Amino acid sequence: MSLLPLAHALAARDDLPIPAWLFAWGASIVLIVSFFALSVGWRVPRFEQDRWRPLGAGLSRALRGLPVQIAAGAIGVFLLGVAVYSGLRGTEAPDRNFALTFLFVTCWLGFPLLSVFLGDVLRPFNPWRAVARVVGAGFTALAGQRPAHLAYPERLGRWPAAIGLFAFVWLEIVYGAGGGVSVGLSPQAAGVGALVYSGYTLTMMALFGTETWCRNGETFSVYFGMFSQLGIFSFEDGRLGRRRPFAAATRWATVPGSAAVVIVSIATTSFDGGSEGAFLNALEWTFERLFDTGFGLTAAIRVTDTIFMLLCAAGVALVYWIGVRGMASTGGAPPLRRLWTGFAHTLIPIAFAYLVAHYFSLFVFQEQAQFTYLLSDPLGTGSTDLFGTASSGIDFTLLSANAIWYVQVAALVIGHVVALTLAHDRATAYWGDYRQAARSQYWMLAVMVTFTCFGLYLLSVANA
Amino acid sequence: MKLTMTAVIALLALIAGVGLAACGSDSDTTAATTTAGEERTATEEANGTATEEAAAEGDAMKHEGEGVETIVVRNGEPVGGVAELEYSAGDEVEFKVRSDVADEVHIHGYDLSKDVAAGGTVSFSFPAELEGIFEVELEERAEQIAELRVNP
Repeated sequence: MSLLPLAHALAARDDLPIPAWLFAWGASIVLIVSFFALSVGWRVPRFEQDRWRPLGAGLSRALRGLPVQIAAGAIGVFLLGVAVYSGLRGTEAPDRNFALTFLFVTCWLGFPLLSVFLGDVLRPFNPWRAVARVVGAGFTALAGQRPAHLAYPERLGRWPAAIGLFAFVWLEIVYGAGGGVSVGLSPQAAGVGALVYSGYTLTMMALFGTETWCRNGETFSVYFGMFSQLGIFSFEDGRLGRRRPFAAATRWATVPGSAAVVIVSIATTSFDGGSEGAFLNALEWTFERLFDTGFGLTAAIRVTDTIFMLLCAAGVALVYWIGVRGMASTGGAPPLRRLWTGFAHTLIPIAFAYLVAHYFSLFVFQEQAQFTYLLSDPLGTGSTDLFGTASSGIDFTLLSANAIWYVQVAALVIGHVVALTLAHDRATAYWGDYRQAARSQYWMLAVMVTFTCFGLYLLSVANA
Repeated sequence: MKLTMTAVIALLALIAGVGLAACGSDSDTTAATTTAGEERTATEEANGTATEEAAAEGDAMKHEGEGVETIVVRNGEPVGGVAELEYSAGDEVEFKVRSDVADEVHIHGYDLSKDVAAGGTVSFSFPAELEGIFEVELEERAEQIAELRVNP
């Protein structure tokens, strides 16, 4: 066995490492752009108000209408059902089973992408919210009163979602490594995991109320909702409208635990990337120590990976903390705690850039499978051909290695520039005096450049 | 303001330095990784069924044919560890698999597969059209025997 086949076993193809020259170009562009972003003179905050304006009332009514809500909820529940059923009853081959690609590629990577551009698209389709609302409506009709809920402890904030996020990625890439073969997560484990999560989520929704839990604890609502803050579309008081890009994000992190959500996101993607190259030696070393001290093979792999995923979280948190601590040392700085939450949203574009850089090619290739053979034959047993596409394959010529590299580097550079702009904007709001604000931002510049270079570095040594 | 600019330039210089250092260490890391990989393989063989002799033989085998590499499978595992096949896009990929167990050799991505009988040899020859890293495995055992790397 080896630690090498940790990468997603459902993918038939891995990315080549980005070449050193592209790494150097990427880093240089980041430095130059950062330099200009700082010196161009962004003196007043522009993102603190999102300037929300309603769009056509007809569109809002149609989207918020009961038929659409019921249809969207039903689609969500149906697709979750298909995923669970395929996972439990379908083939064990990860690449032929609907469950893995649907849950871990289509939803997990598709929703962040859709959320950034279209807003919080999970919400209408969220299967747990749909079920809980139907149950709630049934309860109200039968009991003649609305269900009573416990008060959600506000201090808990988004911490349950941060932990849920960590657990989800742990299930995907750490638990799946068990057994010493490159199976990744088995479809059965994914099916069981989805059922367990459904039970947990519905219980929490019953205890604290559906919308309260979606805002705070429901991992996917919080996580995808985070990315939707970057985009321009949102519902306010039941009306669809558009707002300034990135502006909504400035208010996102005021809930406790928000920083943890975005830190975990960056950290888990970093771990996945790092385990393909940058962390290999350290992983091997730790694994061998654990194996020698009497851990079983599977346990040693899982413990090693868990340790490193936690270390990644600690590392990302530390880099951010250094930035915050540095800012606090600038004259006229607000208290440390306010800085920590006040700048957490600036990491959201970095989290998104990391996702794109790391999973872009997987998404493009695997979605071809999703919409051809996995849709026609969800169980992967060859027994059905619902749409006549069961025998189609993935066209791996769709993206050249060069195209993938450029997208990876572009994602990191753009994500970094947006992050830096958000941080600079927040600083001008906090410090008032733009000179002091700019001075405080050398620290955040260091943080952002660290994350970009780290991201580029991970890509340059992955599978090298 | 002057001081500010100096600070920025100093910071950027520092970051550039770190970036270059990271860049430079690139090849070191790769080398170290490979070494670790070989060590692991060696340990496995000491523990497993294949002897060191076999490993040496396997290595020799691989280089003998001038161009046409042969991946030797013993007891359902590749001798000498997962073989690395590296090509540039457009090249002709050519290799053989000699196996002491019956199985199906499957090249992921390219989706080529051939059955190999116990003690038999199969040859592959196809143009390297798809860029990326692809697994070559014994399908029934789900055992990776080679990694096919196609650079642009």
